[in-house]
Amino acid sequence: MNESTLFLVTFVLYIISAFFYLAFLFSKQPGQAKTGSALAIAGLVVQAIALIARTVESGHAPFTNMYESLSFLSWASVLAFVIIDKKFRISRIGPYIMLIVIGLVALASSPLMPKEITPLVPALQSYWLWLHVSVTLLGEAFFAVAFITSIMYLTAKEPEKKEKMDSVSYRCVAVGFPLFTLGGLVFGMVWAYKAWGTYWSWDPKEVWSLITWVVFALYLHTRIVMGWKGKRSAIIAILGFLAALFTYFGVNYLLTGLHSYA
Amino acid sequence: MLLIILAIISILGTFIPQGRSLEEYVARYGRLSGLFIRLELTGLYHSVWYLGLLGLFALNIIICTLTRLTPKLRRALKPHLTADPKSLSALKTNARFKRSAPLADVQSELTKLLAAAHYKVKAAAQPSRISILARKRIGGIFGSDVVHVGLLIILAGGIVSGVGSIRDSLSLNVGDVKPVPKAEFEVRLDKFTTEYYPDRSVKAWKSDLTVLEQKKPVLTRTISVNHPLTYKGYSFYQTSYGWNWDSPAVEIWAKSKNDPTFLKKMKLKVGERALLGDKAQTTIAVQKFLPDFVLGEANQPENRTLQPNNPAALIEGFRGTEKVFSGWIFSNFPDFDQIHAANDKDKEKETDLAFELKSFEAGQYSVLEAAKDPGAILIWIGCALILLGLGLAFYWPTWEIKAVLEESQGKTEWIAGGVATKSREAFGAEFERITAALRRSK
Repeated sequence: MNESTLFLVTFVLYIISAFFYLAFLFSKQPGQAKTGSALAIAGLVVQAIALIARTVESGHAPFTNMYESLSFLSWASVLAFVIIDKKFRISRIGPYIMLIVIGLVALASSPLMPKEITPLVPALQSYWLWLHVSVTLLGEAFFAVAFITSIMYLTAKEPEKKEKMDSVSYRCVAVGFPLFTLGGLVFGMVWAYKAWGTYWSWDPKEVWSLITWVVFALYLHTRIVMGWKGKRSAIIAILGFLAALFTYFGVNYLLTGLHSYA
Repeated sequence: MLLIILAIISILGTFIPQGRSLEEYVARYGRLSGLFIRLELTGLYHSVWYLGLLGLFALNIIICTLTRLTPKLRRALKPHLTADPKSLSALKTNARFKRSAPLADVQSELTKLLAAAHYKVKAAAQPSRISILARKRIGGIFGSDVVHVGLLIILAGGIVSGVGSIRDSLSLNVGDVKPVPKAEFEVRLDKFTTEYYPDRSVKAWKSDLTVLEQKKPVLTRTISVNHPLTYKGYSFYQTSYGWNWDSPAVEIWAKSKNDPTFLKKMKLKVGERALLGDKAQTTIAVQKFLPDFVLGEANQPENRTLQPNNPAALIEGFRGTEKVFSGWIFSNFPDFDQIHAANDKDKEKETDLAFELKSFEAGQYSVLEAAKDPGAILIWIGCALILLGLGLAFYWPTWEIKAVLEESQGKTEWIAGGVATKSREAFGAEFERITAALRRSK
């Protein structure tokens, strides 16, 4: 099986998984959530093989264009969800996170995204490509889960459910923030210093990463120092994820700068 | 609040391209450009007021950190050992029970239990009562302070970089020796190569660079993108390259439309002439070479850029001393025949020759960036501290159990409370376990 077939299998698995989660949402039968989770994990494994296949075929890290990085981001989002679900038992967020993942995979497979393997430009020939992009996207995947739980906090009615969503959001930020700091900012600065001789260039992608970081720093400050919880925290987490999303997509398509690869 | 202002202003900076020329701003924003420039929005991140805001931000961090640090240090180093039983019972995690055993026994059991769970235990004895303070991972409470100190060091590193960094671009032809700005040594470019992938996209630029001290070579390295050379605090980065179009050589293939067997391959420098060897005894000259041909104003051929995007050569054909034909040939468009007779009335002299521009050779020069950045080391220290601090704050939870043991009429009462900075559920479970074990034990 080649990479595109595996990618298709992943897509199908995620769709069926989302379907089972959705059914669980209405029926409340735990068996359906279990099936959904098993399918998501199966998709995770198949997609991992697809990513490895692509790495082997191209000979470089699978983050060099939008198709590859979207595929990796969707994979990381499923991974983040599987971890959070194992730890906090929140199948309820399953359908929503799977819908986001399906959206990412659909976007990756849309004709707008060139899929052919292109040789690596000199600037990207570095092991920092692996470290910088993978850790950053993993951090962003946790922000994505926090985004879902924050929205669910805002829409939920029962106080018990609300409290759980608030606490899971916080845990996700507590994992995502250090990852994003490490991968996005620290590894990014080290790589920039090695490749361009300057650790910070005020490039739009850098500034937007900093803005994303500031928003989540604000989330943690208001929560830990000022005791904010619930609604206000949820809104900050949502804004933070939107900033991360803009850093990822918007900067590439709307603004120009040094990060004009993917 | 300051963070929000900084974020909003930084966003503005990403929508206005930074550090461009005045003309570009006028073209883009018209009247607004004057306002933008006066407000320093075009160089926002280096403007006085943005730096001022960063300064305020630093001051804010310093004050916040200092005001919180003193009580934290006291808590870590000189904790109050005596606790008020009432305040202990008011804690979210608490326990209270009596056991018929002497105080000394209960205390030794408790100490064992706590030690087994890796708590550091301190005790203070008062008449008929003992106060106990047990805790682990006390470093966790300093996580946020470590992050803040790291941030301050990064800001300091930014200032050091801004004031003290040296940065200059060096363009070197092969063989060139150039002094390094503000340094005692020179560098020489020995070799510059561009490697290509099979699809002609660039794979690598490599410069063989030699460091010269007092004209003597001391070090030779090949540098490429992502692999700089560092010497005496200076780093040399491969940033760019350029073409030297002074005297390019072109490879031309000549074919005859009437005689399919005729093929002549030639390599000519611009200005050079060569005999073609056909029946008509034609001489060919390359009159001009343009790496990026474009028709400019008045339909005059000119270079659009100095990159070989559309290489073109102007060919002239002579019979004896008479120019008989001329025209442009393009390496990207081999079928685009522009060869025409030199004299429009002389149609019979129209040539049956066709030419192809197969390749060209020109010198390339390497563009290196020489940089010395004394602030960088502070940045790395700051980054390490931020990561350490985040680790402490999120994954090194401080757990603290305070207890009072009180003996009366042969019974010992245990009143305890606990606090945790993080992972309260896990802490609650451990607290329960220790309490239950203490209650049970004989």
